[in-house]
Amino acid sequence: NGAVFSKVRGSQSGQDSTRWHVVRKFLGLISSHNIPVYLVDPLILRLVDKDIEQIRSSPDGPSPECKYFCAPRDFTTFALLDKTWKHEVGLFRTAEKMGFQWLKIINKDPRLDGMDDLSGIEIPLHYIFKLASHAIHLVVFYERSGNYLWHGPLRLRQHMDRKFVPFRKLHFGRYPGAYEKPELLHVSIDDLKVQIPKNPSSFLEEMSHSRFLECRYKEARAFFQLYPDDASLDAVEFRKKAKSLLHLAALTLNNLGVKFWLSSGTCLGWYRQCNVIPHSKDVDLGVFIRDYKADIIPAFQKAGLPLKHKFGKVDDSLELSFQGEDDVKLDIFFFYEEDDHMWNGGTQAKSGKKFKYLFPKFTLCWTEFVELKVHVPCETLQYVEANYGPDWKVPVETWDWKSSPSNVQYNGVWPVDEWDDVIQIY
Amino acid sequence: MDEWKPNAAIKPHKKRSWYLAWKYKLMNQRALRKLCQTGAVLFLLVTVIVNIKLILDTRRAAYAEEEESVQDYDDEMLNVEVPRHPVNNKKVLDVEVYSSRSKVYVAVDGTTVLEDEAREQGRGIHVIVLNQATGHVMAKRVFDTYSPHEDEAMVLFLNMVARGRILIFTIKDEGSFHLKDTAKNVLKSLGSQVAPFLSWRDMWTFVGKKGGESCTGWESKHAKSPALSTWGDPVLLKTEVHLTSVEDAECHWPDTELNRRRKRFCSKVEGYGSVCSCKDPTPIEFNPDPLKDNKVFDVPVAVIAGNRPNYLYRMLRSLLSAQGVNPQMITVFIDGYYEEPMDVVELFGLSGIQHTPISIKNARVSQHYKASLTATFNLFPDAKFAVVLEEDLDISVDFFSFLSQSIHLLEEDESLYCISAWNDQGYEHTAEDPSLLYRVETMPGLGWVLRKNLYKDELEPKWPTPEKLWDWDMWMRMPEQRKGRECIIPDISRSYHFGIVGLNMNGYFHEAYFKKHKFNTVPNVQLKNVESLRKDAYETEILRLLGEAEVLDHSKNPCEDSFVPDTEGRVYVMFIRMEQEADFTTWTQLAKCLHIWDLDVRGNHKGLWRLFRKKNHFLVVGVPASPYSSKKPSSVTPIYMEPPAKEEGAVAVPAVAAAEQT
Repeated sequence: NGAVFSKVRGSQSGQDSTRWHVVRKFLGLISSHNIPVYLVDPLILRLVDKDIEQIRSSPDGPSPECKYFCAPRDFTTFALLDKTWKHEVGLFRTAEKMGFQWLKIINKDPRLDGMDDLSGIEIPLHYIFKLASHAIHLVVFYERSGNYLWHGPLRLRQHMDRKFVPFRKLHFGRYPGAYEKPELLHVSIDDLKVQIPKNPSSFLEEMSHSRFLECRYKEARAFFQLYPDDASLDAVEFRKKAKSLLHLAALTLNNLGVKFWLSSGTCLGWYRQCNVIPHSKDVDLGVFIRDYKADIIPAFQKAGLPLKHKFGKVDDSLELSFQGEDDVKLDIFFFYEEDDHMWNGGTQAKSGKKFKYLFPKFTLCWTEFVELKVHVPCETLQYVEANYGPDWKVPVETWDWKSSPSNVQYNGVWPVDEWDDVIQIY
Repeated sequence: MDEWKPNAAIKPHKKRSWYLAWKYKLMNQRALRKLCQTGAVLFLLVTVIVNIKLILDTRRAAYAEEEESVQDYDDEMLNVEVPRHPVNNKKVLDVEVYSSRSKVYVAVDGTTVLEDEAREQGRGIHVIVLNQATGHVMAKRVFDTYSPHEDEAMVLFLNMVARGRILIFTIKDEGSFHLKDTAKNVLKSLGSQVAPFLSWRDMWTFVGKKGGESCTGWESKHAKSPALSTWGDPVLLKTEVHLTSVEDAECHWPDTELNRRRKRFCSKVEGYGSVCSCKDPTPIEFNPDPLKDNKVFDVPVAVIAGNRPNYLYRMLRSLLSAQGVNPQMITVFIDGYYEEPMDVVELFGLSGIQHTPISIKNARVSQHYKASLTATFNLFPDAKFAVVLEEDLDISVDFFSFLSQSIHLLEEDESLYCISAWNDQGYEHTAEDPSLLYRVETMPGLGWVLRKNLYKDELEPKWPTPEKLWDWDMWMRMPEQRKGRECIIPDISRSYHFGIVGLNMNGYFHEAYFKKHKFNTVPNVQLKNVESLRKDAYETEILRLLGEAEVLDHSKNPCEDSFVPDTEGRVYVMFIRMEQEADFTTWTQLAKCLHIWDLDVRGNHKGLWRLFRKKNHFLVVGVPASPYSSKKPSSVTPIYMEPPAKEEGAVAVPAVAAAEQT
């Protein structure tokens, strides 16, 4: 019984029964319209995570005190899966009758963004329901190609009330974000029945690295205007193979828990043309050396990708190549972090010469590429420019990995007695 | 269906919208020039818009903080619509109507809402419907009443217009030759004094009101043609029309979400009949029975549409009435920034996407298909399939039930290319069994299911580019794409192709090849032996059938009715000559005399055709090309039918155009 509950606990010092009441009303509103929302408020999830065992074990138990929903805050954040409701306007009428003010933030549908010539759809990205001094921030998640969930940025348009809620403080919306589909758990906290991510701590961890970059579709179209796409059968075939190789590599590395990103030509293809470059002939990935695992090689072999060569060693310039289907090669470059830059190494097999490729420091963002949710450097332009120079926008058919890159440095020669170890070719 | 009927009022020479021009119609120089001009103007317009948008978007991209303001540019930029009369508080509208041999126009408060001075088109009576409260144009039609039956279409249309609407009429060139008394009386009842006396090449303008009790004061000018070889002088009518209040112009339906949609629709457009009836409006929500164990509930449905809103309306009604339909999975893709189709989509509470036209004619349709399919799989990333429908199809009540029972085959049997709701050879006299399915080497289209990986891995990357000017369906039928795979089709079609106006379609063609197609109306048909449709099982099934079949008397004429005995429920087989895989000489002649699809080869499976004659299953085997030739008794000589010698000036249904039925 909520009313009794609030009388008893709402009066305790430092507690805010308004918040609890607003959340309760909101949950009533959405359950009366059969809309399944789940709690994604990081502050509450952090508290919940501490007591997760207890909460799991007594999903219906009454709470002795108001622990989670009574901390005074301006807003509480919930998530909604777009496909689980029908956009009925009835929800908003009911909300208004209950005294809620609401705000809808819409924008272009990114799932159609890659298609220059479609229009007509703007989709709701965020809702804010405000009652008294408390607001509910409802983030709308969309399923996208690559089996992940996406939420949009929160951008206000000119006529909107900028003071409606303290927008800067919202936990979601500064950037778009990408998430795995969460497993949900029905729980009762503070006598409110809500759904939460089954594993709050991993959700919070995911949230801290969720920033998503949309491919630059407009620039890619401009690129193809200048350099028409290669639609030959060979190009179609190569792209198909590269795509399936990338999917296989992603599956293998994700299973091992090894974080990776699109590097070199594959990254350039994503950034410049939102597609695999058909004349690139291989797939390039980057991995931080601190994430290196010895099982990488056997895991790839098990996945049907034999090791083609291994250059360098874990301490220095490690690089692995796996043989994909029909001469399509998978290169994994390991990146070493220094104080002010990152680098990866290269080795010339016949001479034992070493090369070093320098990059400015970068962080990782999610993106979607060939129906896959993958990482790319957030600072993509710097990364690509370091690698390909200021003329990266111009396609180059012939590429020498030892001299073409603008960030290559000669790095000496491997001692001959180490060659057997650092130059392995299969 | 309600009383709505397709607008039969269309003949090739008067189609004004260039993209609907029929393929077989030879483009003459003038039309080409006109097309280029239109194209250039459109292109310029699009370029300007795209550029402005680009600038705006770039500016928008510069904003990083969530509190930065972004103006609602799009809303303004995308408003490239047919100009509608602005709402104002004026009580009187100035209306100008002009009628002449070569030009008609209508202006409302100084805004031109109709102007047609194109040569050799737009002949007949132009009708414009205005909202009596706002002055908005709600419908524009032209009925070529010089030609037969167009007056009937006009009467049908006028009957559907709601009471109180303002109607504007003007004649271009000639509008009386086939304007019969019924139509003249309808015009008279709208308040025209001269309509009953309209004759050859008279010029005429008239402003009336539907159900008008106050017809007095509405003017009508009429210039008589002095002689058979000349036209009446141009007439110009200038008049004032009094507007009524908005309340008077609207129906007073109960205030529900559905009726709000209805109200929005009915205040904008006209010509949809009882959906806008004040007294007894036809429902816009159907709630058909759900399907038990519906395997296609989560399969997205892409409806491919152009600018035929009346068709789309009929199509969506049947689709939303089909059992097991899931409206949330439906997206209507409209080829162009047409307003009225979007109004129809919104009436039914569905989502619609407009597509900037790329390229022309068949290539345009092809690009529209590609964009629609790509968008469908983007919007529903979990989907393994998509149902593809067109705006000129009726959908059978058991359409989804049919798919739900068969879709697992498409998932599991890699030798399948598609499931289609349409049997090319399924006519009233040749289809019989709603529970029977076939495997065919041809791809019928007209309501079909596409597998995502087929699209993503094979079709999308190779899809013909705009400059290729290819038909998407012809391209999909090419061996390079189909790679020997087959489609599953029902004996009795689950879709019905009602479109008479279309890119490759005309009234004659529709009458000959589509009108008598059989269409299933039985709900919940339990399909039989679905498992026997798998690649190897189907061969076993065919051999069983052939084993059971009685060989017909090959000395008789296969075109005669007596060729097949007067029995029911038997299986008969005949053998025709077919020298190699691509020899369809005899088949084509047989198809012709059986009055089924004969414009190219459809419905074959390894040189075997399956259909019904007189309620008996009727198998045709091509000998020796078919592997089933071994079933031919040695005593039987395969029938050979010679193609007729080519006659000069024979009725021209060019094979190319006719072969494409979409």
